[in-house]
Amino acid sequence: SSLDVLPRVTCPNHPDSILVEDYRAGDMICSECGLVVGDRVIDVGSEWRTFSNDKATKDPSRVGDTQNPLLSDGDLSTMIGKGTGAASFDEFGNSKYQNRRTMSSSDRAMMNAFKEITNMADRINLPRNIVDRTNNLFKQVYEQKSLKGRSNDAIASACLYIACRQEGVPRTFKEICAVSRISKKEIGRCFKLILKALETSVDLITTGDFMSRFCSNLGLPKQVQMAATHIARKAVELDLVPGRSPISVAAAAIYMASQASAEKRTQKEIGDIAGVADVTIRQSYRLIYPRAPDLFPADFKFDTPVDKLPQL
Amino acid sequence: MDADSDVALDILITNVVCVFRTRCHLNLRKIALEGANVIYKRDVGKVLMKLRKPRITATIWSSGKVICTGATSEEEAKFGARRLARCLQKLGFQVIFTDFKVVNVLAVCNMPFEIRLPEFTKNNRPHASYEPELHPAVCYRIKTLRATLQIFSTGSITVTG
Repeated sequence: SSLDVLPRVTCPNHPDSILVEDYRAGDMICSECGLVVGDRVIDVGSEWRTFSNDKATKDPSRVGDTQNPLLSDGDLSTMIGKGTGAASFDEFGNSKYQNRRTMSSSDRAMMNAFKEITNMADRINLPRNIVDRTNNLFKQVYEQKSLKGRSNDAIASACLYIACRQEGVPRTFKEICAVSRISKKEIGRCFKLILKALETSVDLITTGDFMSRFCSNLGLPKQVQMAATHIARKAVELDLVPGRSPISVAAAAIYMASQASAEKRTQKEIGDIAGVADVTIRQSYRLIYPRAPDLFPADFKFDTPVDKLPQL
Repeated sequence: MDADSDVALDILITNVVCVFRTRCHLNLRKIALEGANVIYKRDVGKVLMKLRKPRITATIWSSGKVICTGATSEEEAKFGARRLARCLQKLGFQVIFTDFKVVNVLAVCNMPFEIRLPEFTKNNRPHASYEPELHPAVCYRIKTLRATLQIFSTGSITVTG
């Protein structure tokens, strides 16, 4: 840049003056007298002029994909695409230029993993910030190489799980399993390994984190959702369900709330959405049933009164 | 947590795992055919031998390495291992009892009170790890003693290491 030690040229009349680059014309101009002292500087402006009403999709001034410098060490490579005209195919119908040589070989696996992460997140409609966080986690784990032997997909799934947790919207392992080909066991193992490798820890899951998702999937109105949240929270506070997974407690609370309202749901339906077996819901329900009157919120409108709640 | 009544804290050793080497190659087929109380697992390449006197299950590889599990104390583990070596000697192998090492001791202990796992985990952040979806117990690791404790909400604790 012209702020460095003036490389070769100075203005003959004003040797101390700063030279200004005019990149449009490719000149270096003395700022004092305006003399042009250097020329044929490489023009970094756009190659073509773009007009506002031109086909908006093809912007000829952009010649590369959006860079992802944070994640893949700067992607300044060029790839030769498949030919389009008739000349690119030889006699038998095979294309003449065969491989797109693997350009970014050092991070091919990482880019593959990013693609997989985006696919998985897409299936459960996760927002972009979680996907970005997942990508960052994956990069950190990948660079550390302590989990190198593990399948990349497993690490990606575990990173997705951790990212959801860190953003405050945890997904159950079973939900991540549903969009990944890796077993729950393997994801759990990778999860523990990643926590150890990155030396982070995550917050514990609470029953409230899942209420809105489960209730919406079941089509339950807001009243029932709030009641279920209240029931679950109270149950955990009173320690009625020691040692039970928060998901099972949440499912049982939803069952109780829905059975007391007009929108009843069976245990099987709830079990299906939450990913818990209906016997598990039954077990947790049995634990909270005795204290049912205390668990409901004060202003709840009962469609089925508390004593008529089903007893399993 | 339990400072004054340390007296009545019974801790039982339930399992001791040890390894030893017979410094000779063992013919697994021969052991499988001639030994008593043996199970031959050909797909993995090992023979299981169960002894009754000290209740021991031993996994024998053809390289001569033997892993002994099921003993209730370290002494018993050593007895069982020696008895096993004697068995193999009787079958005709030149067995030398070397490198006896206790690898793992598992003990179970019971607290007279229940434990609230989420609060416990919050107070013991670096050492304790709790994942209710994966396992219903808190996993507490003590690096200095190389021990892992699994703490259940009912108050029973499993110590391994």
